Amino acid sequence: MKLFDILLDWFSGFTDQWEKQGVKFTVYTTIAVLIGGIFELIPPFFISRTAVPIQGVKPFSPLELAGRDIYQKEGCNNCHTQMIRPFKWEVDRFDPSKSYGRDGYSKAGEFVYDHPFLWGSKRTGPDLAHESQIQPSYAWHKTHLINPRDTSPGSVMPAYPWLFEEKATLNVKEIIDHMRGLSKVGVPYTEEDYISAERELAAKTEGDALIAYLLKLGKDTAELSKSIQ
Amino acid sequence: MSQTNTKYNDSIVKGFIISALVWGVASMSVGVLAAFQMVYPELNFTQYFSFGRIRPLHTNAAIFGFALSIIFATAYHLIQRLCRVRIWSDSLAKIHFVLYNLSIVLAAITLPLGLNQSKEYAELEWPIDLLIVVWFVIFIVNFFATIFTREEKQLYAAIWFYIASFVTVPILFIVNNLSVPVSLTKSYSIFSGVYDANIQWWYGHNAVAFVLTTPFLGLMYYYFPKHIKQPIYSHRLSIIHFWSLIFIYIWAGPHHLLNTPLPEWLQTTGVAFSVMLWMPSWGGMLNGFLTLTQAKEKIKTDAILKMMLVGITFYGMSTFEGPLLSIRAISALGHNTDWIVGHVHSGTLGWVGMMSFAAIYYLVPRMWNTNLYSEKLANVHFWTATLGILLYIVSMWVSGITEGSMWRAIDSKGFLQYPNWIQITEVLKPFRFARGVAGALYLSGVFVMIYNIIKTIRNADSGFQEVDLRVKEQGGNV
Repeated sequence: MKLFDILLDWFSGFTDQWEKQGVKFTVYTTIAVLIGGIFELIPPFFISRTAVPIQGVKPFSPLELAGRDIYQKEGCNNCHTQMIRPFKWEVDRFDPSKSYGRDGYSKAGEFVYDHPFLWGSKRTGPDLAHESQIQPSYAWHKTHLINPRDTSPGSVMPAYPWLFEEKATLNVKEIIDHMRGLSKVGVPYTEEDYISAERELAAKTEGDALIAYLLKLGKDTAELSKSIQ
Repeated sequence: MSQTNTKYNDSIVKGFIISALVWGVASMSVGVLAAFQMVYPELNFTQYFSFGRIRPLHTNAAIFGFALSIIFATAYHLIQRLCRVRIWSDSLAKIHFVLYNLSIVLAAITLPLGLNQSKEYAELEWPIDLLIVVWFVIFIVNFFATIFTREEKQLYAAIWFYIASFVTVPILFIVNNLSVPVSLTKSYSIFSGVYDANIQWWYGHNAVAFVLTTPFLGLMYYYFPKHIKQPIYSHRLSIIHFWSLIFIYIWAGPHHLLNTPLPEWLQTTGVAFSVMLWMPSWGGMLNGFLTLTQAKEKIKTDAILKMMLVGITFYGMSTFEGPLLSIRAISALGHNTDWIVGHVHSGTLGWVGMMSFAAIYYLVPRMWNTNLYSEKLANVHFWTATLGILLYIVSMWVSGITEGSMWRAIDSKGFLQYPNWIQITEVLKPFRFARGVAGALYLSGVFVMIYNIIKTIRNADSGFQEVDLRVKEQGGNV
């Protein structure tokens, strides 16, 4: 206890001074806060193994990207996670078809084109990281989105009928703008992608796009895993 | 009294008290609706009020509408008293008030429209973010200018906590919101995947630290001793726990990302600092409790003191639960479940809410120069709020631990015992219903408070009875 008192005397000798000098106090407070922040935020960018793109992970196609925008707009990430943790019970539940071999959990490389990440923090509904391998049916997803109780009695998910209405037809120009924006932050879209967008998006609704996105989740890594096997 | 009224700018304090009441009711009503939506999906009225869109509305209105209004009201109130000068610029304060409320109104419009960038507690799109930067700069210029022109030499502990908040929040806010706009209503984070997650939770956890914790500790350090007319128990303790709190808190973010692809060393650092955080947090709690021991005879009769007592208790409880939940094994069970929702609400309803109500009950009679309309109603509010919180966290503890256990339950052959997700959802429904009731109870207490305050304000300028005790007891030398 003696040592602690000496230490405290020494420290409060400084702080007593700072408390009389507003600028000094503010500057030292800022430094105290920055140390941890810098330590945590900067090194991951320089440790190359933090996020190695898994071979075969492709950027979202125009329709999938439009679907991702809808996923964000409707706040699906408030109830669904996209992060399968390395536990047997999670791998069993979210990789039931064993599409990923023994390692059915999420890897850093799967998210390299996710701006922003959508891992979520609350799992009210099931995890969707590998949804394409769990429920690959377009028709199922459409029925489920229009009224979740039709496919899953007892579900508490909101119904999303408006996504399939005529006024929910996608705006092609807008999505091409989104792709151009993403190319500025490192998603490798090419001129060909912008040209093909028009064809892919024609007469599609927000609901179609959302399903396309759900059917993309986990697809690339599953293909990679199968090719290795 | 009349002298102090002209010396200090109190109208800005009044403004922020009213904006706290408005956003408090708005955020909590939306919260109650969201709670019942998780039991009765039919309550998702139209696309604009579906759960996914109103959940961010609830959190933004509660954190940035209600809590920030309280922070600004108390900051403007105590900085003038503790520096013994009027706020540096009245017009900057007014502009701050208007632009701040404009940004919250815009949030309340855009979030139901589905315009959001999907980062928790940073959902607002870039034009509103820019507006926030503008009024925040206006505010901190005014705040620090007041500090630098002060007539009191020593900066009292309460001010330290506000300073720490106001320098840190802009750093967090700006870094996490860096994005590329693609239209007026849409932007993409410049970070991706793991990096984005790391930066988001560095921000997210420190929003808890520097919006919901440090300013409210500052609030405690000023209003608690003022109210009981006793000095804070230990100045020494405030020094240690202030510096260790702000230094350690900033490291704790990665505990939100345990068992993800985030680098292992970063996860471990997050856990270590989260566990260490327990000590400075309890330093603040102990200083509060020990101060209270000097005035324990007043607890029975005084609603403000009861609220502070419960507030500090919940601060201690949720800062014990936090480090606990950051331990890997416990995180494996609790992460993504209702337990976390309960944990957050024990901090927000218990600590932030109760301390805010105490501050409101302290400030309203003084600012409007009259006495509180009814002490009895304040007590009713105290009890509904306390029972509401208890029911809320107990139902979420049960729900969350049940949820986590059912996810991982394996039968004797090694298969999942509850492979059907809905089976688990059905079990949780009664607890989630209880949570909705708890929220409604808490909200009803707020309505009681608002009635009490409207009645009080109607009596404005009838003369506030209590005399500043420092003047009375120390012979007017302060």
